[in-house]
Amino acid sequence: MQSYAHMTATTLVGSLRQPWLALLAMAATPVCTSLASTATATQSLNALIYPIAKLSVPATVALSAGATRFSSFTGSAAVSYRLRTTPSGGGNITLQVTSDFTPAGGPSAGSGALTYTCAGATIGTSCSGTQTASTTVQTPVLTLPASACTGGGGACSSQDPNSVTLSFTVPDDPGYATGSYSARLTFVISAT
Amino acid sequence: MSRYATLVVLTCMMLVLTGTAQAQFGPSGTTTLSVNVGAEAALRIDTGTTSLTAPDTAFGGDYTGTTNYTYKIRTTKTGGTGTIQLKVSADFNAGGPSVASPPSAGDTLQYTCSVTAPGSGCTGAQTASTSTPTAVATFGADAKSAKAGNTGSVGWTLTNDPAYSTGTYTATVLFTISAT
Repeated sequence: MQSYAHMTATTLVGSLRQPWLALLAMAATPVCTSLASTATATQSLNALIYPIAKLSVPATVALSAGATRFSSFTGSAAVSYRLRTTPSGGGNITLQVTSDFTPAGGPSAGSGALTYTCAGATIGTSCSGTQTASTTVQTPVLTLPASACTGGGGACSSQDPNSVTLSFTVPDDPGYATGSYSARLTFVISAT
Repeated sequence: MSRYATLVVLTCMMLVLTGTAQAQFGPSGTTTLSVNVGAEAALRIDTGTTSLTAPDTAFGGDYTGTTNYTYKIRTTKTGGTGTIQLKVSADFNAGGPSVASPPSAGDTLQYTCSVTAPGSGCTGAQTASTSTPTAVATFGADAKSAKAGNTGSVGWTLTNDPAYSTGTYTATVLFTISAT
């Protein structure tokens, strides 16, 4: 049986015109040979699954003026995230204004002009009430529970990725000079 | 062989694209918030109904009264302007005073202006009109009111003409604010 297998493989190799197919057939020969005998073995597979979390945010969010004069500028952004937390762990998403509105003369997050609310988290608990974004400290967006995971259903969420929506508000203060202003927010996700 | 080379290239491109798509997920991410602040103006009339009254002395003086208002304004930083104007949108009812057709020559509804900065009040006494908006206040470039608004007032003077029949007469005045 073994010699038959070798012969067959050799014959095939000799008849193949494509060199790579010949190499493939040769590589397969030991496999064919091993099929000729029966043996059993056990092997332990250990998988160490670490908690992990990642997020994605839109590159830009435009705040629009309200329908009535001097009503606040508003805009929303969906934060997408994937996570896996341990049975004794958890996690969170926070944000911080890492670059205040520029140029000068307009709104200032450092003066508390940027507030937000969080809603619709598909895993975790959205931030409560209205939060004031800060240039100096991270403020809450979402709290992640223990034993949570993204996608796949079952014990995990059916959504992949998960998401939470933030609604931003900047008052339309007459004291702002006309112009375009932009600020940068940094979101951070962590899981244990 | 070229077919397989093409296959390998396409596979590599898919892997690169997949890697790119996944790269947007990370332990942190940044968003740029942008807001465009434009010229804007609004006002509120604080004296809903202004009563014009005359002194007790017979024809010793005209009817006078004051209308207070609060305004908010933001004009363009360079070259912007703003105005507050008024116009009599509904004249007094018949038999009494009239802005458009007074019973006697020289009868007028006049007003003076007072406004806090950044506004500048109208100069001297203005004669109200039913056809043409007249000045109340003006604003220059980069004018910015307080967040809660700034205040102004209009002091009215209506001729006390014996030709008016006795009674109560009402006119409506429309204030308009604008900014560029």
